[in-house]
This record gives sequence, structure tokens and C-alpha cells, in this order.
Amino acid sequence: MRKFLLLGCGLAAAPLFAQSAIEPVLPSPSRTAQGDVAVTIYNQDRALVQDRRELTLPAGRSRQEFPDVSAQIRPETVTLTGNGIGIVEQNFDFDLLTPAAMMQKAVGETVTLVRINPASGAETRERARILAANGGVVMQIGDRIEVLRDDGLPTRVIFDRVPEQLRARPTLSVTLDAAHGGRQPVTLNYLTGGLGWSADYVALFDEPNGKMNVQGWITLTNRSGTAFTNARTLLVAGDVNPVQQRYRGYALPPPPPGGMVRAGTESAGRERLGGFYLYPLAERTTIADKQTKQVSFLDVSGAPADRAYEYRNPWLGTVDQPQSASSVIRFSTGRAGGLGDALPAGTVRVYQRDARGNPQFVGEHAIGHTPMGSSMSLATGEAFDIKVRPVVAERTRVNTSPRWRTRMLYEVSNASAVPVVVEVVQQGLGGDTRITDETMKSERLNADEALWRVSVPANGRAALSATFDTRY
Amino acid sequence: MRARLILAVALASMPALSGAQSVVTSPKADKVAVTIYRAPYGQGSMDLNWLQGFAMVRETRRVSLPAGESEVRFEGVAGGIVPQSALVEGLAGVVEKNRDAKLLSPGTLIDSFLGKRVHLRRTSIATGAVREQDAVVRSSGGGVVLQTAEGFEALRCTGLNETPIADSVPPTLSAKPTLSVRLRAARPVAGTVTLTYLSSGFDWRAHYVATVAPSGDRMSLFAWLTLANGDETGFANADAMAVAGRLNRETVDQVEPEASAIAITCWPSQRTDQIPEEAIPPMAAPPPPPPPPAAMAERGGEDIVLSGSRIQAQRENLGDLKLYRIPIPVSVAARSQKQVALLDQPQSHFALLYRWPSFFQNQANVPMPTNLVLRMENRTDQGLGLPLPAGNFTLFTARAARPFLLGEGYMTDRAVGETVEVIMELSPSVTVTQRQLTTKGSEGETELTVTNDQASAIRFEAEFKGDRKPLGSSEQLTQRDGAYRWTPTVPANGSRTLRVRYRLRT
Repeated sequence: MRKFLLLGCGLAAAPLFAQSAIEPVLPSPSRTAQGDVAVTIYNQDRALVQDRRELTLPAGRSRQEFPDVSAQIRPETVTLTGNGIGIVEQNFDFDLLTPAAMMQKAVGETVTLVRINPASGAETRERARILAANGGVVMQIGDRIEVLRDDGLPTRVIFDRVPEQLRARPTLSVTLDAAHGGRQPVTLNYLTGGLGWSADYVALFDEPNGKMNVQGWITLTNRSGTAFTNARTLLVAGDVNPVQQRYRGYALPPPPPGGMVRAGTESAGRERLGGFYLYPLAERTTIADKQTKQVSFLDVSGAPADRAYEYRNPWLGTVDQPQSASSVIRFSTGRAGGLGDALPAGTVRVYQRDARGNPQFVGEHAIGHTPMGSSMSLATGEAFDIKVRPVVAERTRVNTSPRWRTRMLYEVSNASAVPVVVEVVQQGLGGDTRITDETMKSERLNADEALWRVSVPANGRAALSATFDTRY
Repeated sequence: MRARLILAVALASMPALSGAQSVVTSPKADKVAVTIYRAPYGQGSMDLNWLQGFAMVRETRRVSLPAGESEVRFEGVAGGIVPQSALVEGLAGVVEKNRDAKLLSPGTLIDSFLGKRVHLRRTSIATGAVREQDAVVRSSGGGVVLQTAEGFEALRCTGLNETPIADSVPPTLSAKPTLSVRLRAARPVAGTVTLTYLSSGFDWRAHYVATVAPSGDRMSLFAWLTLANGDETGFANADAMAVAGRLNRETVDQVEPEASAIAITCWPSQRTDQIPEEAIPPMAAPPPPPPPPAAMAERGGEDIVLSGSRIQAQRENLGDLKLYRIPIPVSVAARSQKQVALLDQPQSHFALLYRWPSFFQNQANVPMPTNLVLRMENRTDQGLGLPLPAGNFTLFTARAARPFLLGEGYMTDRAVGETVEVIMELSPSVTVTQRQLTTKGSEGETELTVTNDQASAIRFEAEFKGDRKPLGSSEQLTQRDGAYRWTPTVPANGSRTLRVRYRLRT
């Protein structure tokens, strides 16, 4: 607290000290060169920055610099608008101000050398002209030619000025033509990389009561190398397909969204534009460089949710040791009996309370952009106590025909103290595979998969057998 | 001096701080609970520099806040924090939570003074005279360029003893990993805040140590639970827990903590004979030096604690996982391991057998070693009957009152009621020769001979997989788990032979 009082005083006192020997050329330290900034952030490492700055322009042509633009600006997307302003040309300079660059740019210029006598500390001042800076600096001092610091003695090199094109940070400069001079607003728009966001969900699952509480957080990450000060921020959920992802004229389909079993058809009560959901942050915020920022956007209590178990056997094969079934949490995003909102893509982290009532992490699952009203099924991990072991019990050729008969045995065990239902799915049934015999009625999910719902008593076992007629 | 201090503080104020916002720092947690989750395929001993599991950390902290807008900075959270997973409970009016990956380091400090004033101190080696002057940092990316009253100079390219001095640290740079929350309180608040987050750089292992009892048919099965913290943050007096079972994890986009040295690059300043051939690299700024090499840390810094077997972890069910709780508060120190007992089953039944995994048309014309397998039934009447988390397994017996290592193996997660088999080693004392006697027409015949050079009888199991069918055999075959099996007892210093006729084509 005391420190901050001091700081406040310091801010007020700063102008008193401004008349030191150095004329600050860079913007005043307490302020950024950014004006009124609005940032629109998309999911795939893309953001649109709008920066309204007040500039004092002379009438006619002038070159204006825009420091504090994103270090990952895509210069080809920059537009500058203002009343009566025309752009002559724009440059994005990223020639970084380094000692080496400074020396190279000083070739032909005169610098000051201060030599220090190591025995006495006495200083000698000389002016030197830089002749070359290739693998060593060659200088002309009066009528002598010397190599800088070839004698290994301490020598300060003082440059009179820094070349204009060398900058501490990448800088945008625009030559523009203003109809009238004076102070006026201009608006800079550009796309940049380095900013991204996703959603993070915290689901506290109350298994005995079949309910869960879900909090949604928008997580914003800034790796752009630039801070955005006091910015209005809008987040857009939805994928804007970049042009370079197209292949032979077709847009590649995005990766399948995780967890969604059936897509919903309800509209969430949120701002939309086209197919996108928009998430404006309630107030202005400063997004610092290398910062991860989270803002709450969803808080639902007591939504119905239940646990299910799934096991998938990828082909008609035997596994050596029983395998744990996937532990799955199922819920809806619908208005009735669900979360009642659309979910932007992100990660759902599931917690359950331990014996002492403290929440413990039990697994997570990624989801894609999920419309409201969707059925969700998220595999959070494997069940320690519930296992399935598929075994090829018998495989025979059907007479002399080129077909095969495979009898599969699935042993399902449950070491937990509650009865469970395990959904056993046999995959790899494509082609004309038929199930000729089964101890329990299956549900054919599609050409490739058949499903059995196997009830297993508490601390017990169940067996399922099915015979497949296959071409190979 | 005082005037200069105020000036520097003013200059250091970052744009991030707006309005009348106060900063409250919570330097450490009052109470911590750490739950460690294991790497999915971890085996053997753990490398503290490469821990692939993670932890859920739950910290309780006391904070008091003034009314109005403030920033609460939680210092000393784990360095591997996944900021996306952070949860702050107990604070009302949270506007946003932030995690700044920039740590206080020479490089980030000079970066934060870009365009601002520092002092440049030069010390003369000859006279010891110290000279200080003001300088503005003009560039810090690929070498430091300073502007002084005389002009522009490059830091440490002079051969002089010179260093930049800052008067204060910007409030956004913390020495330790920090999570911060911006909030607005209507009135001053004093209360308890709970911070929950996931962090990488932790792991645990189960290691089973079985000792065969003198009777030979029982063993004492003991297991260690070894917790490892590879993070730079330690947790004193923590409730420590471990979770067994496999969880689904997703890759998270984590901003790595940024800490760097001051980048010093110069024009060639050496003697001519030291100057490399190639020209000065043009504009490219060198990448910031890598963070301090944690991976190079010396092993001497690690702290391996054996707590003795008196403390045994308590088991409970957590959803579909198993939670093991260390019953007393312990210190999970930074870069250290800690061991407590996971289970202790002094009277467990077990069987040792030698297995030959094969198929009928297999050929092994020279004697081959067999697998020594330890088999347990995970049932209460067998002295077991409890969840067995995956882990390495070491089997000892006693020889002249000294332990003798029989073999080592690995077992996966085993639930109650399951058969546990651990493959211990290849045994040269029980060998198998499998020859094909005939492979004519539609029939084949194979002969399998198993030998035992031990002074006691052993149990043997030949396992024939595949889809060939036996037509007749000299000994009885049983069918189980999709394979035909021959399970004879091989007498001491003896052998047994099996002949099987089988259908060559399927």
C-alpha cells in the first residue's frame, strides 16, 4: 500500500525531472503510443486490432510512425483511415536497433572514441570516421587508420545519433497525404498473430446425485510481443478458415469436435454475427505480453449429468489382459435439462469430491464449438474397477467357402460396489460382416460397429458372446 | 538519492496499472494439499528433471483487501502451473485473473526499462573511481543500446566495468511464478481464499517388493508409494495424495515462464586475430537465451526421503479412480522424492510358473529359455483383495539369512478379483524345444519337450495361440482365453514331452 502511495506521488512528480540532460525521444514512459484500442480475437491465433490515435499532422505529405503496434502484425492487412487522409506508402520496419546494426549503419559517419588508460584511468577523446564494419571495425582517426579495440584496451564508442530505420521494436511507418493540418483522429486496423483464446470449463460432478456445476472461463493468451493497453475486447467463437488451408479448391474439414454425440439446434441467448457467437468482455482490460488472462462467462449449477462406461474393441482380436472401460460423463447443453448455452471450443476439466469433501481432479476432455441443445459424452479417463477382456474363442472357415466364422467372448468384470452397465462396442465390422449368433441383442450403430449394453452386478462379472460371419 | 528513487518509481510504473488500483501480495500459502497424478506409462525410477505426471494443488491463503479495485498477487504457486485450470474461490467481485509468465530476471528487467531511465555505473580499474550517469534504454532485444547525455553507446562493448542500475522493480515482475486476480470490493475484506490449479512436473510410482516366506507358498507383499516433485516450488506441511488409474489429458497451450539474461552483443571488439571470418549478422536479433537449465541441475540438490514403512497411505474411491492419502501432513519439497507405504500384505498366496508362448506350427529346434511368471489371485482369501496400482515388481527370497533377488517385472493396474501375472525374467533353467515332426498333406505334428534342471518340481504352461486346431495329443490340452494350453508339472531334474497332431490348413 505504502509503495503505491509513493508511486502515485512519483507520477505526479515526474515532469519536474524531465529537464535532465537527456531529451526523451521515445514516448513518455508512463504512456503507450496506442490510442483507443479494440481487439477482436478469433480462435486460430488471429486477432483484429483497431487502434484510434490522435495525431498532429501537417497539411500535405508527411511520414508518420506508429510505434506499439503488435510485433506480429501482418503488414499486408494494415488499413489507415482518417478524414481527408490518403496513404502514399506504408512500411513495416523491423531493422532492430542492436550494437552491431548501429555500427554497420555508421559506416562513413563520424563517432567519438573515449580511450581509457588502464594504468591511470585518464581519458582521451578523439573523433573517428568508420570506414568499414566487416568482421572488425576499421576507422580513420585524423590521418591514421586503426582497427577498433585491436589493442584490447577499454574504448567507448559514442554515436551522435541512431539511424532512423533502426528500432527497438518493429514499427509501422506510413507516408500520408493530409488534406488539412492539425490534430485529428486516425484509425489503424490490422490483423495480427500471437493472440488467441479458448474456453476452459470447470465441472464439479456430484455422481451420487447425478448433477454437476459448471463454470466457464474465457482464457486469453498473448504471445504477440506487445501489450494492448486498456483495450475493448471481443472474442469470436467459430473458425475463420484461413485461405492457405484450402487444398485443390476444397476447404479441408476442421477436426471433428470432441465429445459431441448429437448436435443441438437451439440458439443461445448470446450476441451472434452470422454463424459466430460473440463474447464481448464486460469492461476494458490491459492484455500484457506473455500473459494468460481468464474472464468468467458461464456459471450453471445443478445441471443433470450421469456416468457411463464404454469399451471399444477395434477389431476381432484378443487382448492379453483385461482392459479398463472408459469412464464417460454425459450431459446436455440444452435449455431444458442441460447447461442452457452454446459452448465455445475448449477443455472441460472434471472434479469430484473426495471423502473429506474437497474437490479432486478426475480427468479432462476437449470439446469443439458446441451448439446449444447438443448431447455430450466426455471420456474423462479409465475406470480402475471396470474391465473388459475380448477373446477370440474360435475361428473357423465356413465349409469350403471363402468366409470365416469368428466367435468372440467378452468378459466384463466390475470390482466396484455398485452395479454398472458397460457399453461394449465391437468395431471393424465393415463390408458384409454379419452377426450370426449372440447371447444378447446387439444394436448396429453403423456398418462398422455393433453395441451391446452389458449389465454387470456389483463385485461381479458378466459374459457376452457373439459370432461374426466375415469375408476374411 | 530520494528524489531519484521517486523518479525511477514513476518511470517504472507500467501501463498495466490504471486508475487507483492497489496491489495486495500474498507471498505464500497458509495450507496446501497436493494430489499427484501419475504419468500413464511410467516405469522404473523417476527422473526429477523429466516428470511426466502432474499435480492438483489446492492452497488456502489469507488475504485482506481494501475497498475498491485491487490486484491480488498470489506468489509462490508451482512453476508448472496450467493457468487455464486455476480456480479462485472465496473472493467476490473478481473481474479477471491473470498469470504473467515474465519472471524477474536480468533480461526481463532491462526489457521493462525500454524507453525508460536507468543509471549506468562505471568503475575504473585503475583508480577505483565510480562514476554514475543517467541513461535511457533504447534497445534491449539483441544487445543493449543506451542513450547517454553524450550520445548513443552499447552496453559492455567498451571493455570497461559497467553495469546498468535500476532503482526499482516493475510491479508486474515477480521473482516467483505468480497468479493474480483483479477484483473490485465494495468494502474492505479479510478472508480466506482457496486457490486450485493443475501443475506439470510431478509424478508418482508404485513399487512392489515381495519376499517369499520360508514356507515357499506365501509371500510378504509390500509396496512403496513414491511421490516426486520436480518443480521449483516446494510445499511444506502439505496434505499429500496420489491418484491411481488413468485420466484423459489434453494438450494445453502453456506460456512458458520467461526469464533471461541480459543479451549482450557487440561489434567485433576483440583483437584482429580473434575476429571470425563471417560478417556481422545483420538485423536478426539472437533468440533470448534459454531459461536457466533446470535439466542440468545437480543431483546433489535432490532430496530423497525414506519415511519408513510405518506411515501407510489410506485408500478411498474417487469416482472411477483410487485416491491414496498420506495420513499426516508432509513436506513435498521442491525437486525431491518422498516414499511412504502403499500397502502391506504379509500373507499373500502366489504361484510361480514357467511359460512358453507359442503356436502349433512354431519351430524351436534348439532349447529356448522360458518366462518365469509370478501369478496371484487378487482375492481376500488369497491374502490380497485390494486395488493394485500399476508398478514395478521385485521378488526376493531368503538365502542364508540374506535376501536374494529372484526377478523383476512390471504389472498394470489390477482391480479386485483379477488374476495378476508378472513376467519376471527369462529362465535358462527351464527350457523348451519344439520340433515339427511332420508337415505333410493336411496334417502336421509337433513335439514339445520341456526340461527342468532344478532340484524341485516346477509348474509349466505351454500356450498355443492361432487358429490351427488340434486333432489329437499325447497329453491333455485345455482351452482358455482363446488358446490351447498344456499345464504339466515337470519333475525335479526331469523333463516332459507333448506331441500334438494338428490341422495344417485352417
